[in-house]
Amino acid sequence: MLDRLDISLRANHVLFVILFTAAFVFGVMASMTGDRFYLRLATEALILSGLALSIDILLGFTGLLSLGQALFFGVGAYVSALVLREVPSFWLALGAASGASLVAGVVGGLIANRVRGVYFALITFGMAQIVAKIIYNTRSLGASDGLIGIPVVEIPLGFVTLSAGNPLEFFLVVLGGITLIYAGMSYVLSSPFGRVMIALKANEKRVPYLGYSTWAPRMVAYVLAAVIAGTVGGLYPMLRGFVSPELMFFSASGDALIMVIIGGSGTLVGAIWGAILLVAFKSVVGSWTEHHLIIVGLMFMAAVLFMKRGLIGLVKPMIERRLVRIEAAREMRKEGKAP
Amino acid sequence: MTPALETRGLSIAFGGLKAVDAVSFSATRNKITTVIGPNGAGKTTLFNLISGGLRPASGTVMLDGRNVTGFGPAALQGSGLARSFQITNLFFELTVRENLGLAAQTLDPVINAFFPVGRRGRAADKVDELIERFGFAAKAHELVAALSHGEQRRLEIAMCLASEPQILMLDEPTQGMSHGDTEETARLIRSLSTEVTVLLIEHDIGLVMSLSDHVVVMHQGRKLSEGAPAEVRSDPAVQAAYFGHG
Repeated sequence: MLDRLDISLRANHVLFVILFTAAFVFGVMASMTGDRFYLRLATEALILSGLALSIDILLGFTGLLSLGQALFFGVGAYVSALVLREVPSFWLALGAASGASLVAGVVGGLIANRVRGVYFALITFGMAQIVAKIIYNTRSLGASDGLIGIPVVEIPLGFVTLSAGNPLEFFLVVLGGITLIYAGMSYVLSSPFGRVMIALKANEKRVPYLGYSTWAPRMVAYVLAAVIAGTVGGLYPMLRGFVSPELMFFSASGDALIMVIIGGSGTLVGAIWGAILLVAFKSVVGSWTEHHLIIVGLMFMAAVLFMKRGLIGLVKPMIERRLVRIEAAREMRKEGKAP
Repeated sequence: MTPALETRGLSIAFGGLKAVDAVSFSATRNKITTVIGPNGAGKTTLFNLISGGLRPASGTVMLDGRNVTGFGPAALQGSGLARSFQITNLFFELTVRENLGLAAQTLDPVINAFFPVGRRGRAADKVDELIERFGFAAKAHELVAALSHGEQRRLEIAMCLASEPQILMLDEPTQGMSHGDTEETARLIRSLSTEVTVLLIEHDIGLVMSLSDHVVVMHQGRKLSEGAPAEVRSDPAVQAAYFGHG
């Protein structure tokens, strides 16, 4: 029989496959009807889902509340924008965004991981605000206007070259990127190292008595989350053609946190569903009333109060039970065949 | 022969209170050494000093003749010391198997940390063995939060054994257990003493007397007496301080 954590990961995979299929069908259909707006919006939702996923690594698995994750998203976005303005190369920009967010993650982690709990949350919040303010006041980085005039890039994938200017092509590239990130993080979580991360959330005080450092896995989780946030941040200017300091503001970090909570924390896939729902919701309700943030706030409160596991929590137990039954049946068959 | 564990003049004070005051004792290999004393005598604080939860203000801790004073819990665990807790301290949101797996995966080479948690390997074998030995076969996939108190206490001991330690420190393993469970646990601890050095904190005097090879009596942070169970029991100072009240 499988461990509960393995069942949980498999249930996430089922929900991810559903999401991937739906996204793919949506992309093709939207493209066939000649739509640009909704494809662009969906691409933005997927990019933001990477930021939300990075928060879930910390909040849902390691038990760390980051209120400033947009810092790394912004670092990735700015570095990518700066590179693209000089050399319009997709891979160079993405690599630079990942590298810069790795460095920023190590520095930020060394500072934030000195403390725990509320203090950790406050420090992550503070670091993001400080860097956002610095950029806001730095003329060479465009100050409050941000950086504009980022060219449309070609995306060479070896066998085919796509364009960030084509809504469907870029949507598919981002979808592929999120799939890789999701698969990579699922792999990490299924390893013994992932188990230690999960143990940190469940009962941090016991972990050192099992022979593990608590600092090192916290640090690795933090840096991983930073690199993921920075890498998807690097995609942002390719979509929008500009970056602005608002990307790092608390509203961006807070939005991503709301996505995780509404979708369901501790599931990875919940963050992605949450991002898509929140972006879609804001777009639809935002066209009716400019007070849509009130409704988002109420949704957040409702999720915290009534759906501790978020929207994913409504269907995931069903999928898990089904997976357990399938697994049990498989073992029965195996035992039946054995001599 | 060097003792498996030895403390020399171990001390720590909280404010003005000398919680552990110049305590020296040693635990012989593959014997059961029990620390007893009235509430507040400093038994658990002594455990915390030895297991790295607290750093002693003065004194030394030796494992197998090696000075490990000031080592943190993780380093001490790596040196072959495992401990349980008086207040059940497990991963309640994980299953029995996952709890044991976490404790056992230090047995596998570090490179395994980069591959999915396996069904095979030394750690997986150890988990299977412990599930069998501690009678968790039917509950291996239950969440720890759903276990009874007695089962959780038993799992505490199993967790400690998962890393194959040389020294096992058990802080009141039978705390809150029923009479039957207590006897079963006593049998278990006795059987363990053939493979590990056991250091025990225990309140049940009957159990202490029947189980221990060596008893250390603490009172108000100091070591009051030590010796074989019968010797300690007949020590007038111990009777006055401890048995006199009970």
